[in-house]
Amino acid sequence: MQRFFVLTLNGLTEGMIYAAMALALVLIWRATRVVNFAQGAMAMFTTYIALFALERGAPYWLAFIVALLSGFLLGAVVERVLVRPVESAPPLNVVILTLGVLLMLEALAPMLFGGQIRSFPAAFSIVGIRVGSLQVPFSAFDLFSLVSVLLLMALLLLLFQRTDLGLRMRAAAFNAEVARLLGVRVGRMLTLGWALASVAGALAGLLIAPSLLLYPTYMDQVLVFGFTGSILGGLDSPPGAVVGGLAMGFALSYVGGYLGSDLETVGALVILIAVLMVRPSGLLAWRAQRVV
Amino acid sequence: MLEIVDLTVAYGPVVALERVSFTVAEGSVTAVLGANGAGKTTLVRTISGLVRPRSGSIRFDRREISRLSPEAIARLGISHVPEGRGVLAELTVEENLRLGGLCRSDRADRRASVAEAYALFRPLAERRHLPAFTLSGGERQMLSIARALAARPRVLLLDEPSLGLASLVLTQIMARIKQLVQERQLTVVLIEQNARSALSVADDAVVVSLGRVVAHDQAHRLASEEGLRHAYLGF
Repeated sequence: MQRFFVLTLNGLTEGMIYAAMALALVLIWRATRVVNFAQGAMAMFTTYIALFALERGAPYWLAFIVALLSGFLLGAVVERVLVRPVESAPPLNVVILTLGVLLMLEALAPMLFGGQIRSFPAAFSIVGIRVGSLQVPFSAFDLFSLVSVLLLMALLLLLFQRTDLGLRMRAAAFNAEVARLLGVRVGRMLTLGWALASVAGALAGLLIAPSLLLYPTYMDQVLVFGFTGSILGGLDSPPGAVVGGLAMGFALSYVGGYLGSDLETVGALVILIAVLMVRPSGLLAWRAQRVV
Repeated sequence: MLEIVDLTVAYGPVVALERVSFTVAEGSVTAVLGANGAGKTTLVRTISGLVRPRSGSIRFDRREISRLSPEAIARLGISHVPEGRGVLAELTVEENLRLGGLCRSDRADRRASVAEAYALFRPLAERRHLPAFTLSGGERQMLSIARALAARPRVLLLDEPSLGLASLVLTQIMARIKQLVQERQLTVVLIEQNARSALSVADDAVVVSLGRVVAHDQAHRLASEEGLRHAYLGF
């Protein structure tokens, strides 16, 4: 029972991080119908930028903000400079392009920052919180991870549901042509969508780096888990991405805890294949089906 | 105010419009008539910037707009109600209407646009918080037109507004549009297959056949030309 409790808390923390990654993928998919396979590598790169700042003596929070901002910029630049020119090409071209960005960033990172495995600091203690004499397997940093991802989601929700800018972004994502006819500058909205998605990715990179350690491919598995989570949720729905990401966190934590940690990645793939076989449009697919 | 000069549009080797020229006066309703495939929709899509012309020019208030983006053209005050699937089905009725008003700079104006749309189109007010995909075909068409009007356009391009609308509702909408034409000098370009009903509301009419303008005259004169009616308008 205690073991189950530990694994559940662990799943919750990691699930929130996968949820952030899934959210990044879904935001980009919704806006441009592209699965951005470079999302993980972009987050890896921005986390290296944070480490670079830390090593130059910047305080943690400054490095944290620098990483999020560089995520914003990197997302915008990738969309404007690389994705935009192939926008009207067949979808496969864009997918291959994002794979190219992935390889490029993973090759560039060791050249710029060194290829060895590095440790990355956490904002708060990673030792479990004490409640009375009991030590709970849930640290202050886990709490921070949870809260910061929730905060980001709340901000995005506010942006999309409560502001005119968010309304424009949704219109551009749902139907670019009609949005244009209403005077929405669709190009800018897509760039902004990529930028915001990359902030979510960058946050995931920062939060998981202390436990995974930092090396050029450390985000690859997070991308796979986040991607599986987004498929679970239906790829088109931001709430679905969050639920899917969390579900992945729990599922992998139980697989790792009860069956052995070597099986985690296999577990992700089994879930992916099972979902694609049983409900190819995702567990929350009723949302998508109602759309005409 | 809207001058179309020698406009040629082609999709690859297929020429959809060939040297089309006509002028639309401010505060008038011009019907564009013609059979299916004559190039009517291509014409409005070119005016609103969705299709790039091969050659020729489109001038709005003497300003060349044929190379501008659709969003820039919309912001100049040309609202295009596309044929059929114009509503954003995933957004609510209210969000659709708000989007229409977004290119107006004043916030109070924006709210007024939405309120005005509800006053004009009652069925929309009852469904304001429902997603647009729950609407019937006629209600969607209403929403499309209401949204375009919420932008307070100077030119309204209507592509087959009768599609899916009950004729009584269509008559009401057209009456309201005629009113706006008189009150605000709104200019309307109306595309219709149903020539008879279009000619009854239009001041001028352009008849398009196989991508060319074959007649351009006052609506009542065209309606009385029997030969033309038989040849191109089918009544």
